[in-house]
Amino acid sequence: MTATREAPARATRARGAWHLTWSGIVLVAQLEMRQRLRSTKWKWALAVFAVLVGAVTLLLEATVSDQGGGPGDIVFGVIVFFVLFLGLLVSPTLSATSINGDNKEGTLAPLQATTLSAVDIVVGKLLAAWAASLAFLGVAVPFIVWGFIGSGAPLGTVLVTVLVLALELLVVCALGLGWSAIVSRTSASAVLSYVTVATLSVLTLVFFGLSLVLVQEPVTVRTYDANWEDGKDTPDGCTWTEYTYDQPRTDRTWWLLAANPFVIVADAAPSIDQVSTSRYDSPQTMLGSIKYAVREARLGPQTVQNNCWVGEREPELLPEEIARRQQLTGLSAVWPWGLGFHALLSAGAIWLAVRRIAVPHGKLSAGTRVA
Amino acid sequence: MTDMDVVTGPLLEATALRRAFGTVQAVVDATLAVPPGHVTALIGPNGCGKTTLMLMLAGLLRPDGGEVTVAGLDPVAEGAAARRHLGWMPDVLGTWDSLTCEETLTTFGRAYGLGSEAARQRSFELLRTVHLAEYAAQPARVLSRGQKQRLSLARALVHDPAVLILDEPASGLDPRSRIELRELVRSLAADGKAVLISSHVLSELDEMVDSAVFMSKGSTLGADADALVARARLRWMVTARPGTDLRAVLDSLGREWEAAGEDQSRAAVQVVDADDAADLLAALATAGARLSAFGPAGSALEQAYLTMEEDRR
Repeated sequence: MTATREAPARATRARGAWHLTWSGIVLVAQLEMRQRLRSTKWKWALAVFAVLVGAVTLLLEATVSDQGGGPGDIVFGVIVFFVLFLGLLVSPTLSATSINGDNKEGTLAPLQATTLSAVDIVVGKLLAAWAASLAFLGVAVPFIVWGFIGSGAPLGTVLVTVLVLALELLVVCALGLGWSAIVSRTSASAVLSYVTVATLSVLTLVFFGLSLVLVQEPVTVRTYDANWEDGKDTPDGCTWTEYTYDQPRTDRTWWLLAANPFVIVADAAPSIDQVSTSRYDSPQTMLGSIKYAVREARLGPQTVQNNCWVGEREPELLPEEIARRQQLTGLSAVWPWGLGFHALLSAGAIWLAVRRIAVPHGKLSAGTRVA
Repeated sequence: MTDMDVVTGPLLEATALRRAFGTVQAVVDATLAVPPGHVTALIGPNGCGKTTLMLMLAGLLRPDGGEVTVAGLDPVAEGAAARRHLGWMPDVLGTWDSLTCEETLTTFGRAYGLGSEAARQRSFELLRTVHLAEYAAQPARVLSRGQKQRLSLARALVHDPAVLILDEPASGLDPRSRIELRELVRSLAADGKAVLISSHVLSELDEMVDSAVFMSKGSTLGADADALVARARLRWMVTARPGTDLRAVLDSLGREWEAAGEDQSRAAVQVVDADDAADLLAALATAGARLSAFGPAGSALEQAYLTMEEDRR
């Protein structure tokens, strides 16, 4: 008896765990969607999601108009954040049990035994989870657009916002997938995924808040104060005073905010807010306010302060203040840092997942079996 | 496919394989070879390392030492190419509950690189082979354990591999399905495939396999075990009518015998070959023994296995 085989050409040797094929990804993504989506009450989940977002939208509209026509922008900003919040909650449920769940069910090993590469399987699973998250985002898009129409923001805002929301959901899916590859118990990987999401969206804010107290340094601040004399109604000109006191060095800790998905979304959206170099004013829109607050934090403590409010007229900006405001508008955006950091985290998670499911298995972690 | 070259040796070969999980040495020293057209049984007690060995052969687990070749390829260095020639049926049932049987097999066909139409045709063909055609459009969750087992077998065959590794394929099968499994395995071997099969139902393996590899505490037993099986295959059971002193008759014929229980009318005799057995039967008849049964003493594999187990206790 004889049998024939292909000679081990160089091409076959290269087909290791990292050999990515489009057909392989699509096949795994299709399989995942069929397996996971058919078995869940998917349409109901989407409907509940739509009702939630719709209810929040309506309530917001009512509240804002009750206050006598405040900026429609609030509606847009809150809806975007609410959709991000729900998206961050929903996305890990899809990917965080994807690999260890399959391993438990005994459906991963037969797939690993095929000619599909590990990266085909991981990326396919990632795309399927992302597609499911995007379905939720898709349901929310009409409400986001509805909020946008009343906000008076430039058209780019809604496009960029939806795009960045989609990317953030991809990040969360990737992190969940990473945990599902590292941890063998599905409950543990689900918890760790939520802890990761909470760390990024809540703990970054908490740590930043703590850093305001913990990371302080003495800073000399020159203030231009009005001279109030006893018995007079108007101050008699202004004079400079120097104080030295502890101030939070936010220029060293702003990156904590940059890692926050909500900050990333707010920072990426184009806003109508401009920093004026001729008047004292502050951003009007919700997302714009966050954007400029984070950029202020990047500049660190203000060393010149104008308290010289004399008479009816608004005081002129001091040259130092103008310089600071120019510096502020000249700052590069924060979101590329945050998104870049998230992309690195996701790439790390995907890399780990591929390493974990590449066959033949070398070391197996405790509590796992191949099949 | 270019540069076809011909492999004349075994399609599946393992030499001095070993693998540990932490401090547990699951496989200590495993050596086996399955030539094309052969069915080899892998036999051993629970926890002796059969599944670990099979996982290494299937390219899912990296051996700590030793060599594996599947159709001439190394599953560690040339993973995907080796897996292309290998069909593996795991001992753990894993089915995608929401996919239909047809979708399951088509998905696997495509995962092995078949085109979608070819994969669909192959899946219907295999569903007929394992008698699940009527369940083609049913989700896998409605299948019984035995039916899932058959689906799992079809899954291992979907890419028409040259080497088959079947881990406990008969467990959970009804009697008819077991017979069909046996016939299917034999016909696969007749097509020139190399089949390695593990099972605890040794009497069934007897009729299915060409050779057996015994495994104990992580090691394959090699030549000793083969000798035991060969010996067990030539053990004849002689049963006379009650009241006959068969032992005395055998003594008078000058044949060695072993007691088979308390009953004096039953004895086991080691024959040299089939001709020797025929001579013995004729001699017994001539000596006036009233025989009611005469033939091989049950499953050779089972006997060899039990003998070996006794040695090891």
